[in-house]
Amino acid sequence: MPLEPELDDPKLVESAYLAFLRLLQLADSALPIGALAHSFGLESLVEAEMLTPPGLPDFLRGYLEEAGMLDAVFCRHAFRLGGRNGEGFPSARWVEINDRLSALKPARESRAGSAALGQNFLAAVLGVAECQALREAFEAVRRSRGPVYHCTAFGLAAGVLGIDEECAVLGFLHQAIASLVSACQRLLPIGQSEATRILWNLKPTMIETAGRSRDYRIDEVSCFMPLLDWGAMEHPALSTRLFIS
Amino acid sequence: MQDEFPVAGPQAGHLQASIALVFERLAGRTVLAASKQGPPLRVVRAFPLEDGAALVHLHNLSGGLLGGDRIELEMRLGAGASAQVTTTGATRLYRPRAEAPTTVQTNTIRVSEDALLEYVPDQIIPFAHSRFCQRTTIELSPGAGLFWWEILAPGREAHGELFTYDSVELTMEVLALKRPILCDQARLQPKKYALESRARLGHYRYWATFYLCRVGLEPAFWLDAEQRLRGITRKLGSPGDVLWGVSTLVAHGLVVRCIAREGHSIPAGLREIWRAAKLLMYNREPIPPRKVN
Repeated sequence: MPLEPELDDPKLVESAYLAFLRLLQLADSALPIGALAHSFGLESLVEAEMLTPPGLPDFLRGYLEEAGMLDAVFCRHAFRLGGRNGEGFPSARWVEINDRLSALKPARESRAGSAALGQNFLAAVLGVAECQALREAFEAVRRSRGPVYHCTAFGLAAGVLGIDEECAVLGFLHQAIASLVSACQRLLPIGQSEATRILWNLKPTMIETAGRSRDYRIDEVSCFMPLLDWGAMEHPALSTRLFIS
Repeated sequence: MQDEFPVAGPQAGHLQASIALVFERLAGRTVLAASKQGPPLRVVRAFPLEDGAALVHLHNLSGGLLGGDRIELEMRLGAGASAQVTTTGATRLYRPRAEAPTTVQTNTIRVSEDALLEYVPDQIIPFAHSRFCQRTTIELSPGAGLFWWEILAPGREAHGELFTYDSVELTMEVLALKRPILCDQARLQPKKYALESRARLGHYRYWATFYLCRVGLEPAFWLDAEQRLRGITRKLGSPGDVLWGVSTLVAHGLVVRCIAREGHSIPAGLREIWRAAKLLMYNREPIPPRKVN
């Protein structure tokens, strides 16, 4: 449970359960935003035989430590924009955060893929929960002609919808890894049981990553994944592709 | 955020040095119009290149960087100026005393309208237990161009030092028209996060990155350039030995990445990409500095 609800306050209990259920849906791979169409460079690594089933758990652990950490920090900073009550939406800061994340993503297809997911995510949430802050966020990036990324859209929505910050970051990391595991099931000979086990066993690393991300500024979080960078940069040249990125 | 390898202020016994270079275009040629130098950093003089650019070599008279050293490099290129900056050898990050703070180099660069900076140094070699942080900020004006590469070795291979350093942090921020087009924030801590992981270097040891920018060229130009340079990077690559990749930045440029088992093929690869890119971006070839490698 994200919160320990006060049993003698029904409104708080309902609020906590509502936030929990919303998080489950936002982090569900069934949310129609196109997450399953992207491998973010994994397809190239598999094609080059650089990623194999035995190496997958270690790879995903490293992914969480690097790219997962980066996304977690940006998710948090966007979350904190959404959790401001009674103040106008800080559009300039929202655009700045997304601009900076653009510059931190070196591979074009992965950058575009994450931006597509971010755009679709915001639209999906606005389709079910009309919210002034999300509407302003949507308009701000449209006016600036800049992107909005999946991790920032997720964080912002979670902040606006009253989800706990730690749970939001963990929820994002979980869905990110679940999507990659799903991609690997289509690329590698990994069965359902093995995929379930891999995702199950990565939870301590998700928690550790989320914990480390708590106090970073967006200009100090690092990400070093040169092999995946290569995979993502090579992806446009693959002769046969299952994934958009 | 608490840093495991804190960057402290200057302390007694540690070097604080700075070098500031100003390049201006005068009568069709670029000159080193002003410089402020503090030992051990030296630029002896600027050499004229055939295309009107100015070439300078950055010397570190102490041979490398010691634990706790703080170095500041500032470069400003006036409108239309063209400068090539290289080093006289590898940047050695010496083994520090245990109590020494992290060695820090800060690079602050401004490239004015239609100016061009080509920064093509030798590799960085981190000795055992070294701790290094390099922070680079580059501001590009309209029409400004940049070719900038960095090569990071795994250590002193001949001494059996492979990933025995404590930390190397390379931070790069390039702003074009006040917006960030590139941020690289790489922190390598081999003892904490295994670089041999497939999520990082795998069995490769060397890492190089090459930024190619020219403010104002259209997105379609960069997409075409990415495709053309990919033809070169694929030929340079040899899976298992060396991999090269290229991609467009957010705007105004490209980034090239290389990872390699051995370092000897990297300089030649960088020069080939530099040549192809400069022909595309400027319709002329680069003039590489004369080097043994």
